Amino acid sequence: MKMNAMSLFFRFIFLPFFLLTAGFAQAQLSIEITGAGANRIPVTIVDFPGDPAASRVITSTVRADLERSGLFKLVDHNGLALDENAPINHADWKGRGADALAAGSIARSADGRMEARFRLYDTQKGVSLGGAAYVTNATQLRAAGHRIADFIYEKLTGEKGVFSTRIAYVVKARGQFLLQIADSDGQNAATALTSTEPIISPVWSPDGGRLAYVSFEKKKPVIYVHSLASGQRHIVANFKGSNSAPGWSPDGRKLAVVLSKDGFSQLYSVNADGSGLQRITQSSGIDTEPRYSADGGTIYFTSDRGGSPQVYQIGANGGDARRVTYEGSYNVSPRPSPDGKSLAFISRREGRFQLAVMDLASRQVQVVSDSNKDESPSFAPNSRMILIATEVGGRGVLSAVSSDGRIKQRLTVAAGDVREPAWGPYFQ
Amino acid sequence: MRPVRIALLIAALGSVQAHAGVFDDDEARRQIIDLRVKSEARFDQQAKGQLDLANQIQRQADEISRLRGQIETLNYELETAKKRQQDFYLDLDTRLRKFETAESTNAAVNPENGANSKPASDPAKEGQEYEAALNQFKAGKYKEAAAGFGAFVQKYPASSLAPNAQYWLGNAWYAQRDCKRAIEAQSVVTTKYADSAKAPDAWLAIATCQQELGNPTGTKRSLETVIAKYPTAPAAETARERLKKK
Amino acid sequence: MKKLLIPALLAALLVGCSTTPLPEDSNGAPVESRSGSSSTGVAPVTAGGLDASGLPRELTDPKSKLSQRSIYFDLDSYEVKGDYKDLVASHAKYLVANKGFKVLLQGNTDERGSREYNLALGQKRAEAVKRSLTLLGVTEAQIESVSLGEEKPKDAGHDEAAWSQNRRADILYKAADGRGEF
Repeated sequence: MKMNAMSLFFRFIFLPFFLLTAGFAQAQLSIEITGAGANRIPVTIVDFPGDPAASRVITSTVRADLERSGLFKLVDHNGLALDENAPINHADWKGRGADALAAGSIARSADGRMEARFRLYDTQKGVSLGGAAYVTNATQLRAAGHRIADFIYEKLTGEKGVFSTRIAYVVKARGQFLLQIADSDGQNAATALTSTEPIISPVWSPDGGRLAYVSFEKKKPVIYVHSLASGQRHIVANFKGSNSAPGWSPDGRKLAVVLSKDGFSQLYSVNADGSGLQRITQSSGIDTEPRYSADGGTIYFTSDRGGSPQVYQIGANGGDARRVTYEGSYNVSPRPSPDGKSLAFISRREGRFQLAVMDLASRQVQVVSDSNKDESPSFAPNSRMILIATEVGGRGVLSAVSSDGRIKQRLTVAAGDVREPAWGPYFQ
Repeated sequence: MRPVRIALLIAALGSVQAHAGVFDDDEARRQIIDLRVKSEARFDQQAKGQLDLANQIQRQADEISRLRGQIETLNYELETAKKRQQDFYLDLDTRLRKFETAESTNAAVNPENGANSKPASDPAKEGQEYEAALNQFKAGKYKEAAAGFGAFVQKYPASSLAPNAQYWLGNAWYAQRDCKRAIEAQSVVTTKYADSAKAPDAWLAIATCQQELGNPTGTKRSLETVIAKYPTAPAAETARERLKKK
Repeated sequence: MKKLLIPALLAALLVGCSTTPLPEDSNGAPVESRSGSSSTGVAPVTAGGLDASGLPRELTDPKSKLSQRSIYFDLDSYEVKGDYKDLVASHAKYLVANKGFKVLLQGNTDERGSREYNLALGQKRAEAVKRSLTLLGVTEAQIESVSLGEEKPKDAGHDEAAWSQNRRADILYKAADGRGEF
């Protein structure tokens, strides 16, 4: 029974601006689950023998991740610790109501790093579903926990997990605007940029290394691309007029942007270094909020060419635009899902701005939120959850909603308004 | 003394002259101001006119946008309605086919027809091929549908589905705006499969095509044929109504 | 022609005003914290404190029509209303006579709806003012129209009274020597 282990050394990213942001510790996101799936998989995560402190961090991270996803129900492990090679009494665990069980161990390697090994079992069939080992330094144990949770999630649901991903968002607090990056559970928040002027529309590059966003620090909207590891950034578009709404092409080479240099807001594409500007739309109204489809062939965008803002689709190099939304007089902020199957957007219905999801094959639209002021949807890389900005009690909060509307989580920051969320790609 | 007087006189004259000069200047200035006020008034007038015009153009552009939006919506609704109608019809056809094919299978067992009923090689495969062509038709791929139905009737001329396939072949041509071939195909239904349930509908289709080709006599004759040959078929009712309209 | 002298004089008198330039964003420059520490922070230019901007008095004197710099718009409207035609014409006249001056037109919207779509709507308002000015003879080179969308509300309230204040375009001036409000 040799464990089918894969060893993974995390390449951790250092954000130099970390050091400057000690004062924003209160800008930590906290998550609250407000809705869960109907059929949750019962699973037990036992304690991992080895370093007790490290074990606690890792197993609690795994448990919290699985619980938060809304797809799992944690079955109590009764304080039991089992390593990945211990014999498992499947019938017993089955009897306690656990369909699956994960056991593991924590070991300290010679160079001081920690190795977390684990194995997942299907108690119904009484078989191992495989396992893995993750090597990490002692300060990044939570990351190892997210990797284990991703493994379990994928084995049990058949979809890739997104616990190891990161999110970006903007916090407005005390007259300042902070562009922050956090783990998908809201922990480890770091500030990438602080400004006295607004920051909007952050979007992750497909490789997860850069953010494009719009900053008003030059008294007008200008588009920047910011490398997170180095903290270096450069201007992508600062033409006469306004420069806004960046959207990455799936290959990460280009950005679709909105410029007003020729009059009203129109779509253009530009290389990530700011060269090779090309106009995409030619309309006499507003064209904005471009987002490439998953295959990169087309762009979804918002246009008022039909008298009210609606979602349209156009070839990535231009051509004729095709209207996509018809219900209602305000449909904006289109976001195609990474799997290409659905389109999330914000729809105004009876004065409420709500998250809606369209099944692209059948064109059926479903409103999936019950809030009033939804904005800026962003798909998780596995297309299952959608992060939105909304308002609760007059405060800006983030909310994660499953694309069927069943599972809901709320992310708040104690000290201010959170807005403009962007869910990053899979961990690479 | 004299030089003094002269000097004074000159001075006085000068002052008079100077005074006259000042007076002229004021007058000119007043006139200029006057002119400026007038031209500014004209400028203001023009300016307002220009701005009014600009606003008017913007309002018209907005109106055009709204109309564009209405056209988009109407087109969408039309498309949806068309699609729904086609779905209804195909659904109905699928349901009716069960009865129709059952009928003709019964007919095939009749002693007088029994001789020429060739046993179908593989009814399941036959059904699949028919279904495939029908799905092409549903998807709006009329060219492929026509090819599919065409191949079907060649391959299985004695199949219980052959009259339907022949009928849909005609419809597939019609959908491609090829009325000549549509009539050809439907004529096979009305002759070769004259006893099938699709025959009266085929006559109606022929009538429609004849009308589109500008052949009122042919149209009338086809409609009358339906009524004469299949007086109880629903198609006969349609034919009567269409004859009445003319 | 004497108009040109005044700004120059004022400009010469008013030294040391607050517009520190931003650090240049070239490729590879590390990002500094912009958390307001005086050495590296963004120099804030706010619409209120601009008297020391070095602009001629006729642009800033409350008695002068040219000191009125805001054009308000109706809900869902992007056309310069009749009430503001005189105002726009006055600014046009000034800019035609003073070609060295430039204006930044900032369009704004209320807070409802998508931020990016609102940015485009604010642009539409700035564009409407720009078109009016160019129609009255102001050259393109003198005007830049931009949008602040819903990001910089004049009134931070959440009712119609606040929203009507935020459906607005502002005119900011800059003199030939670079001094001014932007």
